[in-house]
Amino acid sequence: MKRFFFLALVGLSINQSCDYKPRNQGKALYAQHCQSCHMDSGEGLGKLFPPVKNSDYLLANTTELACLIRHGIDGEISVNGIDYDGQMAGNRQLTDVEITNLVHYILVDMNGQEKAFTAIEVKAQLDQCPIE
Amino acid sequence: MGRIRWRKWNNVWLLVLIVCTSCEEEKTGELPVLGPYEIHDAVIDGAMKLDTVYTQIKPFEFQDQDGNLVDLNTIEGKVYVTDFFFTSCPTICPKMKQQMLRIYNEYENEEDLLFLSHSIDPVRDSVARLHSFAEKLGIESSRWHLLTGERDSIYGMAKHYMIAAQKDDLAPGGYAHSGAFLLVDQKRQIRGIYDGTDPESVDELIADLQSLLNKK
Repeated sequence: MKRFFFLALVGLSINQSCDYKPRNQGKALYAQHCQSCHMDSGEGLGKLFPPVKNSDYLLANTTELACLIRHGIDGEISVNGIDYDGQMAGNRQLTDVEITNLVHYILVDMNGQEKAFTAIEVKAQLDQCPIE
Repeated sequence: MGRIRWRKWNNVWLLVLIVCTSCEEEKTGELPVLGPYEIHDAVIDGAMKLDTVYTQIKPFEFQDQDGNLVDLNTIEGKVYVTDFFFTSCPTICPKMKQQMLRIYNEYENEEDLLFLSHSIDPVRDSVARLHSFAEKLGIESSRWHLLTGERDSIYGMAKHYMIAAQKDDLAPGGYAHSGAFLLVDQKRQIRGIYDGTDPESVDELIADLQSLLNKK
């Protein structure tokens, strides 16, 4: 019996360590920083919050996404044929790596992109919009 | 000896089983009336009896997103779902609005059901701002009223509904409040409190409000 518990414990810890992928951090960050407005599966809400899942706006602006996450956005944009003119606050506390993982989750898991950007590519994108 | 002890335990288990199953039964049946009540002497069927009188939602006067006056006349004979929010709330409100919108859309043709969402931010949430919010959410003031009014009246009403709401400079957006949805019946009595951010809890609300609508 004891042996069984030991094996179960080992199995569980292996399982958890294998479970760590960048997108899991991305998913967790999405839940923490984006989900309350953009909703659980990224569907958005009415004309208040645009969708981030299957979003033509994001797919047309993939290289801008990292800066959008860091600095937010203010003003009119059109997403999937609907105009939005709200404000999104920035997330200046997120590190370059965290933003890389979040971008990965949004582009790959929510928008069906085959791959997103490497941490080095995202850092170069973020260098275009430095925090003053 | 051993056998007798075993039998004794059998009885205990039986008792446990009976207690457990009897608890389950309370879940079915009539929805409770929530909130304070008073007990009065009353003549019922010609005999003196004790009568329980439940508190009704007190009179109020607010303005909605189209500048309409909303008061007891508005909700007369209707079932309504109510909550407290503010339009610039960055945390739980969008989820609450998504869930309320789900009920609103599901009961599109139900004339006896209303929605009352009180803004706890009377400074920023003017009628014009509530109007724009309603438009973006895609809702009509004939069924879903976004309410504003005197600061003290709004907060007094939150307290009356037993919902926590207060100004809090440390909270995101400047206000802290509960994510509860309340279900109020045709007699202005509170019949259920639900978590407006949890779809399962809102499913329960839908089942309960259907039972209230059926009773009409």
